Amino acid sequence: MKFSGAQSLFKYQRGRVIALGRAMLALLFILSIWLDSSQAALKPSYGLLLFYVAYALALAALTWRNWWFDARLAVPMHFLDMVAFTAIVFSTNPDTSPFFLFFILPLLSAAIRWGWRETALTAAVLILLYLAGALLVSHSGGFEMQRFVIRSGHLVILSAVLIWFGIHQQFTRLFFGVDELEHRFGRDEDPLAYVLGVAMRASRSRSGAIMFGSPEVPRFTGVRIVDGAVSQLATDRPLLREALPSLLFDVQRNRALTTRTQGWYRFDTVETLIDSDVLAELGAIEGLVTEVRTGTRQGWLVLWDMSELSVDFLDLGTELGRAAGAMLDHDALVSAIGESAAAGMRLSLARDVHDSIVQFLAGAAFRVEAVMRVSRGGGEVESDLKELKRLLIEEQSEIRAFVSALRRDRELDLAEAVDELKTLARRLEQQWSVDCHVDGHEDRASVPIRLQLDLQQLLREAVANAVRHGGASRIDVDVGVVDDSLRLAVKDNGTGFAPRNGRSPAEPWSLKERVDRAHGSLFLQSEPGCTNVVITLPLTNGAPA
Amino acid sequence: MTRVLLADDHPMIAAALDVLLRGTDYELIGRARSGSETLAEVARLKPDLLLLDVNMPDGSGLEVLAELRKRTRAPAIVLLTAGMDDSQLLTADRLGPEGMVLKTSDPALLLECMDQVRKGERWADPEMAERTRHAKERAASAPSLTPRERELVELVRQGLRNRDIAAQLGVTEGTVKVYLHAIFDKLGVDNRTELAMRGPQLLG
Repeated sequence: MKFSGAQSLFKYQRGRVIALGRAMLALLFILSIWLDSSQAALKPSYGLLLFYVAYALALAALTWRNWWFDARLAVPMHFLDMVAFTAIVFSTNPDTSPFFLFFILPLLSAAIRWGWRETALTAAVLILLYLAGALLVSHSGGFEMQRFVIRSGHLVILSAVLIWFGIHQQFTRLFFGVDELEHRFGRDEDPLAYVLGVAMRASRSRSGAIMFGSPEVPRFTGVRIVDGAVSQLATDRPLLREALPSLLFDVQRNRALTTRTQGWYRFDTVETLIDSDVLAELGAIEGLVTEVRTGTRQGWLVLWDMSELSVDFLDLGTELGRAAGAMLDHDALVSAIGESAAAGMRLSLARDVHDSIVQFLAGAAFRVEAVMRVSRGGGEVESDLKELKRLLIEEQSEIRAFVSALRRDRELDLAEAVDELKTLARRLEQQWSVDCHVDGHEDRASVPIRLQLDLQQLLREAVANAVRHGGASRIDVDVGVVDDSLRLAVKDNGTGFAPRNGRSPAEPWSLKERVDRAHGSLFLQSEPGCTNVVITLPLTNGAPA
Repeated sequence: MTRVLLADDHPMIAAALDVLLRGTDYELIGRARSGSETLAEVARLKPDLLLLDVNMPDGSGLEVLAELRKRTRAPAIVLLTAGMDDSQLLTADRLGPEGMVLKTSDPALLLECMDQVRKGERWADPEMAERTRHAKERAASAPSLTPRERELVELVRQGLRNRDIAAQLGVTEGTVKVYLHAIFDKLGVDNRTELAMRGPQLLG
């Protein structure tokens, strides 16, 4: 966030804009009535006008870099501006007076500095003063009713527009910190340091700190950035003595400025509102404190060493606090999703290892025990040993394929995934003495590793079911993409899942379980001689919200 | 001959047991692959002995065990499992199967277990017996929270703030903090997030 010179001079400086506007209007006013011959009667009052110009310039100089005086003098200056307006209405020629300049100034000041209520109140007072002035001069020969009505109409319309401005000005955000969220993705740095950096850039602060505690534990930790160096911080004491959205502080002059509920300024001492020892630990002398709340924590953002600090920073601070909370919540959410996905992957892999390797080894051990018993009885064991050897070699291939898929550091194209399924189908053909044919559509899609492992396992289980339960001799597999999902259709010529010999119908539980875990769906159509299993798996994480 | 029904969804185990029981006094009369299928097959085949895996789809082995314990005529049951966590071990211990064998133990133990169970005795794999004993000890030494503290843990798990918890329990926010500190100390957690996440595990 970079600022041009003029932008930098007036950004977050409403007090400065008002003071400068007042001084320039006063100078222009003097110039305009000096050039206007119809205002000749006013010339004896030039001394008073010059005094007002001097007052306006002095105020601008006094409040230019002093947020405390700017806040302190805001209300008295406002009343003085209205008094000046009244004096000008009375002392100038009503027909040609440029008093409109001084009507606009207090109205705009109220709209910029406060809100619509103060703007409406200012407008009402100014219009009443104008009417009173008009009534007083109505008996003089120079009064023109038509001009008076037109000017009154101008005042009312202008007031209404500025009241509207005052209302909507409240909803204008000074800082759109949430825009920064988009740049957060993929960053590895500490989220606290990142959020603090965003706040420091937005407020043009050279130093800053952000700290959090939980309601139960009186310990606050966070980070501090001074001269670009990031360091950890920890304190046992809360920074603020009461809950406040934001405040400005000046430790050397023992000044603290915050706002009340209705938006009025509250002037206090640093000691009353802030634990100055904590500020001293941070090294902050003059700056801004704002409250930051996230879903689980609350704390403060402290910014200091700003080039330009003004009362506008009270509003800016509140916005920064909200944005910081939103950014941290968002970051926590993204991290939680990532951790949850990693945990899900770990659990899934653990389940696969348990369901395949551990169970296989247990089964192999049972078979070895059986062979030993047969051998002890003098029986023939060679065929059993051959079978065991075959199973071990098959399992070795399965484990190698499994590990190879895990080692891959990228997603597969659909064509590569289909090729791997074809290789698996050839192994399954030998294992189950069945014809197994895999066909892939020429769809374009990326298949995540997890999904590829699921696909392979589903094919193994589908083939095992078809042969074991249905006595199938031919299995056709079709793989493609439908919408955003992968579609695996397995068709066999077995007897299917229908009840046989009075037994309860078999169901593809293992398939169902795996499909459910992958948030997919399974459709089964079974009749003697033809069984169709259609499985749909989302290509992205299809976890329900 | 003792008629045996195997309830296990893993084909390798089924095939291996078929070979293992060949030439013994046990006859493998059927196989079920899910919890519901097991109950149906028990009713249909009326086996003398049920070899029951714990982790099965559509009704776990422990659910099948609990259901069969309600029946007057049920087979002797041997739990055959690749592993159980504390909670499953304690449930199994409470339901009291006639036998418990780990699939990863020496396969000879399975036959020894089946022989003992056939004689009407109970038999547990030494490793499982040891694990069960440890699980019981851990359960006994689990921190004892008062009903009020347990209620508070539940409210924290629901994501309520102290103010809302205080309103719900009819106490002050300060009292809630005191309760929370006591719970943190008892359970050895540092903050409410950890409490919310680990609460069920810590409370057992």
